[in-house]
This record gives sequence, C-alpha cells and structure tokens, in this order.
Amino acid sequence: MNRLDARELWEYTLTQVELSISPANFNTWFRDSSIVKIEDGIVYIGVPSQFFRDWYLKKFNMLLLKIIRGVSHEYRNIEYMIVKDDRRRPKEVRRQPQATVEMPLDEFYINKSDGLNPRYTFDTFVVGSFNELAHTAAQAALKRPGIMYNPLFIYGDTGRGKTHLIQAIGNQFKKLYPGRKVYYLTAETFGQDYTNAIQAGTMNRFKDKYRQYDLLIMDDIQFFAKKEKTQEELFHLFNALYDNNKQILFSSDRAPAAIPDIADRLRGRFSAGMSIDIGEPDTESRMAIVRKKAASQGVYLSEEVIEHIATSISGSIRELEGVINSVVCHTQVKGVPPDLAEVRHSLRSFARPQKTVSVKHVVSKVAEFYGIDEESIYEKTRRREVVRPRQVIMYILREDFSVSYPTIGSKLGGRDHTTVIHSCEKVKREVQADPDLAKEIQDIRSLLV
Amino acid sequence: MIITLDKKEFSEGVQTVARFAERRSGTLPVLAGIAIIAGDDGIKLRATNLETGIDLKVDGTIKSDGVVALQASTLRDIASSLSGSGTLTLEHSGDTVLVTTGNGRSTLKTLPYEDFPTLPLPEAPRAKFELPGALLRGLVNAVSPYASVSTVRPELASVLLKSEGSNLTAVATDSFRLAEKKISLSKSVEPFSMLIPAKNAIDIMQTLPDESIEISVDEHQCAFFWKKGVLTTRLVTANYPDYTQIIPKSFVSEATVLKKDFEAALRRTAIFSDSFQKVRLGLDAGAKSVALSAQNADVGDSNESIPAAITGDAVELSFNHRYLSAPIGSIATESITLSASGIGRAMVMRGAGDTSFLYLVMPMNQ
Repeated sequence: MNRLDARELWEYTLTQVELSISPANFNTWFRDSSIVKIEDGIVYIGVPSQFFRDWYLKKFNMLLLKIIRGVSHEYRNIEYMIVKDDRRRPKEVRRQPQATVEMPLDEFYINKSDGLNPRYTFDTFVVGSFNELAHTAAQAALKRPGIMYNPLFIYGDTGRGKTHLIQAIGNQFKKLYPGRKVYYLTAETFGQDYTNAIQAGTMNRFKDKYRQYDLLIMDDIQFFAKKEKTQEELFHLFNALYDNNKQILFSSDRAPAAIPDIADRLRGRFSAGMSIDIGEPDTESRMAIVRKKAASQGVYLSEEVIEHIATSISGSIRELEGVINSVVCHTQVKGVPPDLAEVRHSLRSFARPQKTVSVKHVVSKVAEFYGIDEESIYEKTRRREVVRPRQVIMYILREDFSVSYPTIGSKLGGRDHTTVIHSCEKVKREVQADPDLAKEIQDIRSLLV
Repeated sequence: MIITLDKKEFSEGVQTVARFAERRSGTLPVLAGIAIIAGDDGIKLRATNLETGIDLKVDGTIKSDGVVALQASTLRDIASSLSGSGTLTLEHSGDTVLVTTGNGRSTLKTLPYEDFPTLPLPEAPRAKFELPGALLRGLVNAVSPYASVSTVRPELASVLLKSEGSNLTAVATDSFRLAEKKISLSKSVEPFSMLIPAKNAIDIMQTLPDESIEISVDEHQCAFFWKKGVLTTRLVTANYPDYTQIIPKSFVSEATVLKKDFEAALRRTAIFSDSFQKVRLGLDAGAKSVALSAQNADVGDSNESIPAAITGDAVELSFNHRYLSAPIGSIATESITLSASGIGRAMVMRGAGDTSFLYLVMPMNQ
C-alpha cells in the first residue's frame, strides 16, 4: 500500500481501532484525536490532554503501532503530543475540484471500508455473448439482493472479468442502497483474518465483523481448498448471512462441483443459488473490449487495428489489456494511434502466437523460411537441410502450441513420439547455446502471427 | 477488598469525589464511577472525567487490599441517605460489592476497573509553590464567573493564573467584561502562567480545603496537593490575549458611589431595561451625582440619580445592567469607583481604595 496523507491514515486507523475496542472506549478516547504530522517515519498523534497521552501510551500504543505498520513499514514509531486547543478545532475541509485527468495511481486505489476498487463499474464492463448471462444475473441480484439469486456464484478461467463483474456489483450496490454495507475480500484475506482472530482470541469480533454486511463478496474461493477450519467458519458465516437474506457473491476459477478438497456441505451451498460460467470471449466481444478499453484511455483505433488485436490475442482479457496498454503508451509517445503495420510489429514482441494453428500452416511457413520444399518435411529423408527445419517445427509446435508429442509425430509423416521428444529437447538445448538459432526461431514466430 | 469506614467520613468523601465523575452519558461507563483503592497508603477514592481528576484519602481500616470501581451516582445516593453515626463496611467479591451498615445489607454492581484511567500529574513542573487554599479560592472565585461560557475560544473559557515576583494574579474575560484579582504571597514564586478551564476551576475551588496546598504546574497539567488528596486538571494551551492593553491608562471621568446605593438603584432601574437589558449611566460632575436611566416601550421608563464624588467631565454610557451588577458581590469595600474613559470605551469598576480587584466592562453602542 502506498503512503497516505495524515488524514487518510488517521481515518483508516480509526476504522481499524473501532473494530477492536468497545464503542464507549472508542468515543471517549478517539473522538478528539488526530494525526498532526508525519515526519521521518514518526507519526505524531495529537491528543487533547495528558489524561489521553498517558492512556494512549498505556493501552493503545501497541494497537496503533500494529495498524500503522500494517499500512506501511515506513512508519517506525508513534509519538503523542498534546495539541493546542485552538489547533484542535477541525479545519474546514476544502474540497478540491476533482481533477479531470485521472491520476495513474488511482487504479490501485482501494476503498478501505469495503475493499472495493471504484474503478470497476458496469460502465466499463463490456457485455458480450460470453458473459451476457452472468451480467443479467448480476443485474437481477442487484434488483432484489438476497432474494433473487443467493448465493450468486460466478466462475470462469483467469482473465475473463470475474473480479470486474463482482466488484461492479459491489460498487453498484453501494450506489443503489447507500445505507447498506458491502464488503469485498478474497478468500485468502478471509483465511488470514480467521487465523489472526484465532491467534488474538478475538473470534467473536471476527464473527460480528462479517455478519454485519448486507452484501458480502468473496473472490477466488478455490483457495479454500484443504483449509478445513476456514471452510467451517465460512459455512457458518454463509448460513448466518443466508438466513437473514443477505446477498452473497462468490467467484472461483472453476465450477463449485469441480473445486477440489472442499467440504460437500459447502459445495452444495455454493451451487444452491445461481452459478454462472463466464466463457471465453468471442472475437466480436474482444473487439468491443479493445474498443472500449482504448477509448477509456482516450485512444481511438481504426477498425482494422481493433480487429487485428482482437483476433491475434485470444483467451484472457487481461492479456488483451496488456496489448491495449502498449498501444496507448505508443500513442502517448508518438501522439497518434498506431496503424496496422505498427500494431502487427509490436504484437510480435508479445510472442504468444495463436494457439489454434494448423500443423500444415506451421510447416509451410517454416519451409518457406528455410527455402525448402514443403513436401520434404513429411518425407522420411534425413538430409541435413530438411532435418533442422523439421526439428524446429516440432519444437515450435510443442512450445508455442502445446501439441502433444504423438500428434506431432503422426502429423509429420508418422514418426515415433520419442523422435519428437528428442528433437524438441535438442532444439531447446541449442537455442540456449546458439544465438543464431534463437534469432531464427524468433523470426519464424513472428511469421506465424 | 474489605474495608470499614466511618459513615460520616464515607459520605463526605463520596460527596467530594462524585463531583469529578463524568456526568455526561455516552462516554466510557467507568468514568461515571468512583474507584475505591485500598492499599498500603490507606483508602483512596478516585474519580475523573478526563478534564479533572481527584484522589482523596479517607480514614478507615483495611481488612484486605483491593480495588473496585462503583457507580458514582449510586454511591452518592447511598452517602446522602446515611443517617446517625456508626460504621459502614464494603466487601468486594466477584462483580459485586456488599455494603453493610448496622443492620442493612446491600449489594452493588461494580464497573470494570481495568478501564479506569490513571491520573496524570505534571511531569516536569515549571513552577511549584505553596499557599493557603482559602486564599487561592478567594482569588479564583473572584474572577471565574466572568469567563466565557462558550467553548468556541477555549482561552476565554479559562481562568488565567500567573505570578510576578510574589504577586499572584487571576484574570477572566468573556470579551464583554474582564475581571482581574491580585494577591501577594509571603514569598516569591517562579514566574509562570496557566489557563485553567473555568468549569474545572469552579469544581476545584469548591473542593480545595482551607489549609495549605501545594501547586505544581507544567505545560499541560496542573495539580493541587494537600494532606488528604490530590486534584489535577488539564490546562488550556492557547495564547491568552494581552488584556493589559485594553485596561485604560487614563480616565476622562471618575465617580465614587456608595456600594449599597448603587446596587439598589441599579436593581430598580433594571426593571425598565429593554430587551437588550440596556441601562444608561450618566456621570455629571456639576450635579455631583450618577444618573441611571432605562426605558422600555412596553413597561415604561425610569430615572434615578445617586449622590457621588465626581471628578472630570460629564459622560453618558449605556451598559447591559447584568454586567454592572455582577461584580458588586466581588467588591468588598463600602464604596465603588466608576472610571469612564470616554464614549464607546471601557469603564473600570473598583472598590474605592482597593487595588487588588479590577472589573472592566465595555459599554453598549449608544
């Protein structure tokens, strides 16, 4: 986490302290205090009188130190000072007009009280055929939270926008129902919190903390696998929330039935409400995503560029975002959006060619590259000028396209899979030793894109 | 903890200490309590509202040591209901305290003692001096009614106490009027100045005994020690306005009147004051009198003059009559001197021949 200014740090500290001490204690001791300044890693907390300073030193020093250390290790120590009465008056908070240009760090900003990243909204969420169902279910759940689809279980491979969707639900929920409480966390955070609570002996507080929310969003719950006690706690939490008609939202990288090592009673509950798969985005959706993401950064690309990016990068939307970022960066440096040739060039550096490629295509490209007859690759000839290209083809098919050894063997003229393994290992070794070969393979890869 | 106390000793102790327990609700519950501490240095009662705090020793016998915190309001009710002589026994077990008086037995719920704050004492005293409690009380009580009741400016809601040589001065002002009282001590003390919140000062002065007390002051905290106890209060750390500037150096007109004449005339005239409580005061050297007049469209009007010894020019000023009658009680002498420094400027009231007390009041706009 980044350094915060004094007011933010204090507000964060207060939210943490509030959880661990009684409300009366909190009101009495923390209402009139604030962080005066932060200097050389020492946080100066201003308190109204010596009563407070003595008590802070005696009772709250450890707690506060733990909290601010949790924010950043830059904070080394806390000093307490009695502030002048005229300085204690809260200063008029002057709201700066929101800067129109978003600061780059905002992407990593997370709201401390609910764990949500305000960047994830439905406005930036691209709906395509692959996630249409999930989106509709999300909207329905938002309309009647806790009743319509409870729990809502969203799963899909990495980079399909699960986190975006569930965070957008959280942000939308906050907007629709301002009085209600939302909390987003990952399964890992929950597990950690649970362990901490056991260690500190604050199980009751832990239970209370999670039971207060009207919408609980838990990301990546496949990480609960094998953690039996945490699962049990989640089970009870689930029941408590479910019985009170509080909306629960889960995400995972696989279907509830497919999560290994998870208690059956929990598995059953996961799938009790609505579980929806987010599939692989189709080309049209990917084009829409590229267009939207680029436009959100203020870059407008030509249709052919969009199409090229969408077709050449498949699968994960995250990778798509990476390409868009490089395009955006290119635009910012040169002042104009890149044209098709430039995009094609820069995509080569991503070196993750299409996965769905025919062996024939690879063979023809490689043969072309080495200037030999395509047919000779399939023949049982051991001529040197043919053997090397054949080995390179095997290597590329294996490395880049994960084709199985026997398949490669049979496609390349019925060779044994051990031959293929040998060839792949050989090229792999030589690539490391021989920069010329490495260069050749790099060039072939770019041809294949 | 098992302790036995004399009923009278117990009631007096509780009544004294209960004043310092927190009376507002919504704060830490234990602050509304009195801690009873039985240890090596006897039985002590302790209470604090985080502004002030008190530690008071009471006489009694300890059968076994211990600490317990009990609701102050309940203890005070018990203390005021005790009658006759005899002793009272407090026995702490679990989360109750058994109170035995003669044939009566009652159990009291305790408060969690762990949350009971410690009493802060000045860490590095800037000044330490001793004086009789009665003297200090007279000094502070003479000015504390004139401190501001609003907390918007904490320094004005405080009593300034400062020393110069062997003089001790107390000042309070709410920006409409100002009172200053000086006393001289038998020996000189280190120069210091402190701002005690007026509310705290009033509570403390009511509690301090007449006997000699020792005062210890540092930047944020002030403590009063005497044989049987300690009182501590937070201090306001703000700059006090330089009030000596607004005390007029020269006067255009001075009148000396009998205190009882002035007080009676003021009370009669005030009946006719308007919604602003305005009373006009005329100093007329020719007629050798001070004229008081007031008019109220609904009630009527009134004119009165009282004989006075006057020097200087004639001058007429309007005042809030409450601000004129307030200091009369603090003036000990038979006659009062009114010194006006011109239209729209402050008027000073003193006891004739008494330089220890000064009261300054701003006139109303004409």
